[in-house]
Amino acid sequence: MEARIRARVNLALTFFALLFFVAGSSPPRQFVISNAERRIDLSSHIINVHLTLKVENAGTRSASEVVLALTPTEVDHLAMVDASAIKGKRKKTTSVRLEVKPTELPDAPPIDTKYFTIYLANPLNSGESTTLEVLYVFTHFLEPFPAEIAQSESQLVFYHDTALILSPYHIKQQTTFIKTPSTKVESFIRMEPTNRVGTEIKYGPYEDRPPYSISPIHVHFENNSPFAVVEELVQEIEISHWGNIQVTEHYKLIHAGARHKGVFSRVDYQSRQSSNGASSFRYLLARLPPRVHSVYYRDEIGNISSSHLRTDSLKSELQIEPRYPLFGGWKATFVIGYGLPLQDFLFESSDDKRYLNFTFGCPLIGMVVDKLTIKVVLPEGSTDPSPVVPFPVEHHLEAKYSSLDVVGRTVVVLEKKNFVPMHNSHFQVYYSFKPIFMLAEPLMLASAFFMLFVACVAYIHIDLSIRK
Amino acid sequence: MAPPAKAITSPVPDAWYPTLAVFMLAIGLVLTASFFIYEATSSKRNRSLAKELTTGGGFGSLFLLLSAGVYV
Repeated sequence: MEARIRARVNLALTFFALLFFVAGSSPPRQFVISNAERRIDLSSHIINVHLTLKVENAGTRSASEVVLALTPTEVDHLAMVDASAIKGKRKKTTSVRLEVKPTELPDAPPIDTKYFTIYLANPLNSGESTTLEVLYVFTHFLEPFPAEIAQSESQLVFYHDTALILSPYHIKQQTTFIKTPSTKVESFIRMEPTNRVGTEIKYGPYEDRPPYSISPIHVHFENNSPFAVVEELVQEIEISHWGNIQVTEHYKLIHAGARHKGVFSRVDYQSRQSSNGASSFRYLLARLPPRVHSVYYRDEIGNISSSHLRTDSLKSELQIEPRYPLFGGWKATFVIGYGLPLQDFLFESSDDKRYLNFTFGCPLIGMVVDKLTIKVVLPEGSTDPSPVVPFPVEHHLEAKYSSLDVVGRTVVVLEKKNFVPMHNSHFQVYYSFKPIFMLAEPLMLASAFFMLFVACVAYIHIDLSIRK
Repeated sequence: MAPPAKAITSPVPDAWYPTLAVFMLAIGLVLTASFFIYEATSSKRNRSLAKELTTGGGFGSLFLLLSAGVYV
């Protein structure tokens, strides 16, 4: 898988490098990027790329759409793209979030490039310039090399990229900074001017590059940060109008770094902790809402007692330790469940509907989730469910039969692939509910007792004797 | 954003669940007991059965379930 990524990236980049000469014949774009600065943070297995673009309108008409280009391999691994406009001078800067959408540009030369359009808040007039900040988040983009390591070895990974920023616009000046987690860098391809100071490699500044110009580079460095990936997370949020929200999460966790080869020696692992199992991880931290109760952590064998819960008024932190430390390629499956008070999450909206306001995502911090499924189980008698999520997700409805259910509960299922932790994104699920339906449950129980007594009365009245 | 939305809580405060469970079950048990005693002793039946049955056991068992943590 990793070798295939490398081959594909190399193929794609050399293909574009050849088209570099054809780029001169592309239709002239309106914008010109006067300064581009890219900071690539490689400290963890989630790669954050901060791109600061100073875009100038060199055409005659005003325009409000700026196009970003990415190679198809990058788009496969792209988890999130975010753009904001920076206004103001040095000390006082404000940023305004902008909308970014994927687009197609059929007339642009390298046919395989994928594009995203940033919609500016105000159209940029001819001669004006604006500063944009773009954040890309890539997952599964670091290739472990060697692909298999023993317990005492450190994990080395490859990062493939281009020294020149791929863009459909002419870039007057650009610089790229790559930050590695430690100073141990095995090799990196130079493209002058290149400079390496401590943990930072600086490519540039490069002057006056035409559109679609790239230059493939790679960095081979040590990265021992925990490559914890949740392959599948199913989170079930059950709402009860009697005052409780019960959350149950099923995790399938895997260590997605260099695979572990050879034996696992517990003696070596415990005695030489500094040099042994450097890329393995033991502890996972989950951030839960405050006022959480009845937290449990178990798997198929039973309860796992190696966990700690620390609560305060703003958040609760659950630190869990799986039954064994995770080395490359090892998996762990477990269930975390907890209860939350209803009044923190369920609210009344203006048009007489109720809505659940909950955080979207995985409570475990620093994780990539390959497939995230959130199921919101609405109480019996709820109608008209509609989810509101800040980014595109797939959703459908299901039915669930739980305790004291006659017609079944509606379940709103939201699915997202390639999820990374983002700042505080909440989602809402709206539904209508008539409070009188809450009476159905005690009446059901009361009628059960009633039937019992009626049966007693009937038994006493029925005369089963043969003889008078 | 709109003014802070009104939070929805249970119609009965949660802190009362165990107390309500105990009292309603006690009432329910007393009524059940008197019903069976009545059945066993008199030979003619009355219609007073219907009233007592709907309230006694049902609500008590609901609050018992809720206070035990089975939020139905």
